[in-house]
Amino acid sequence: MPARVVVTGLGVVSPIGIGVSEFWKAALAGRSGITAIRSFEPFPMDGYRSRVAGQIHDFVPGQIVDGVLAERVDRYAQFALAAVKEALGDSHLQMGRENPHRVGVLVGAGMGGMVMGEREITRLYQHQRPHRVHPNFIPVITLNSASGIVAMACGAKGPNLTISTACSSSAHALGQALQCIREGRADVVITVGADASITPLVFAGFCSLRALSTKYNDHPGKASRPFDRGRDGFVMGEGAGALILESAAHAKKRKAHIYAEVAGYAATSEAYHMVIPREDGEEVATTMRLALADAGITPAQVDYINAHATSTPIGDAVEVKALRNVFKARAQKLAINATKSLIGHSLGAAGAIGAIASILAIHTGRIHPTANYDDPDPACALPGISRSVQERRVNVALLNAFGFGSNNAAVVLKRAVA
Amino acid sequence: MAAATTALKIRTALAEYLKRDVASITDAHHLRDDLGLDSMAVIELLYRIEDTFDIQIPDQDLAGLTTVGHVITYVNKRLGRTPTAGVSNKPSKSTSKKRS
Repeated sequence: MPARVVVTGLGVVSPIGIGVSEFWKAALAGRSGITAIRSFEPFPMDGYRSRVAGQIHDFVPGQIVDGVLAERVDRYAQFALAAVKEALGDSHLQMGRENPHRVGVLVGAGMGGMVMGEREITRLYQHQRPHRVHPNFIPVITLNSASGIVAMACGAKGPNLTISTACSSSAHALGQALQCIREGRADVVITVGADASITPLVFAGFCSLRALSTKYNDHPGKASRPFDRGRDGFVMGEGAGALILESAAHAKKRKAHIYAEVAGYAATSEAYHMVIPREDGEEVATTMRLALADAGITPAQVDYINAHATSTPIGDAVEVKALRNVFKARAQKLAINATKSLIGHSLGAAGAIGAIASILAIHTGRIHPTANYDDPDPACALPGISRSVQERRVNVALLNAFGFGSNNAAVVLKRAVA
Repeated sequence: MAAATTALKIRTALAEYLKRDVASITDAHHLRDDLGLDSMAVIELLYRIEDTFDIQIPDQDLAGLTTVGHVITYVNKRLGRTPTAGVSNKPSKSTSKKRS
């Protein structure tokens, strides 16, 4: 029988709080972390159609993690280091007592080291001095730089992998970590999602794709509004979430505090379009059904959905269509929220941060509000979406994450039974 | 540029990189054995020195740069326009050496 997998530690770096406690307090208050982008030196912001984002303004890496390690990696990996430090501390895992080859690291990252990437490319083309490209350019932009530096910081010598599936990266990282432990290849997997690519080029790219909100540049806190009739695109965010996953037996042996069980996972491809979901929601529905089947859970047992819900006109409607399809009458009884309404879309970090919000809902019995759900869009309206905190015992939560490249992920989290 | 200034700039660059007091770094310190710089860190340090002094350090010169004193002597020699084997001391063509 495959190992059961539980979560024993959490860490988060987000626009509404660095640290789980600050994040959760702000999330329950429904506080938006979306602000106006001050500037992209030397670009004036008026050249951008969208001018709002979920940026982390008060992150000083040296205050949180080893300065020398942090200096050698890009912002997204610094976020990852900080989130992992918190999660490891929270889990009370003593690396000195572990077999290091049984501790893995799995990171989901969508864009990687774009801060240095863009800077060095710009300089090279401006000054045409190839010998001035920074020696750390390659190690920093390589997409597995975060998983590498996390392993070095922790001394984790087990499987060290990076999943890059755009906006669903860290939901897949969670699923792959689940499989890794189930298959007995590791006792513990430090699972992370991280992205920090609110950079001049990437931001311009998303603007050109017409994917970002542009109507609320003067009211940043209103811009991310999943399921609301006034939504007009997603809001870029940045951050990291870290979860310590381990086999239930390993957690029990070391008497660890258990937050929740990771009970099921599914990964599919719509094989349809690089950036557009199938409008009938069939593939999203299939993904949720497969994840529930993997967990041995029926739709009627699900209490809460942490939706992918990025605040795009099509995406949110497709997801709700799929929810109605899978859950039938139960859809009217589900609690549903969108973490991105608070922090924007942190791309590769979104799945991990959404999972943390889901686990905290299981753990505390409180479901954070969906900000700006002021005028429910009939195409998305379900009674369990609310601008207020919902108090409810959550035994089973389902996390959705969908990514460019036509890929879908769903992860089932449930209350751990001793 | 006075030789003493060169030495101070190099020690300062090292001190900043290593996050330690500049006064604690001496010419005799071996970059790897005493200061703990791995090969990648040495390359980063030399990158910084190239920037500071607007010089290019060719690969064949790296092997000789093992102590703080070696680096200082080497840079002074380069700035004094004493040719090192196979190396041109011409400043680079770039109009700017500013690091943004």
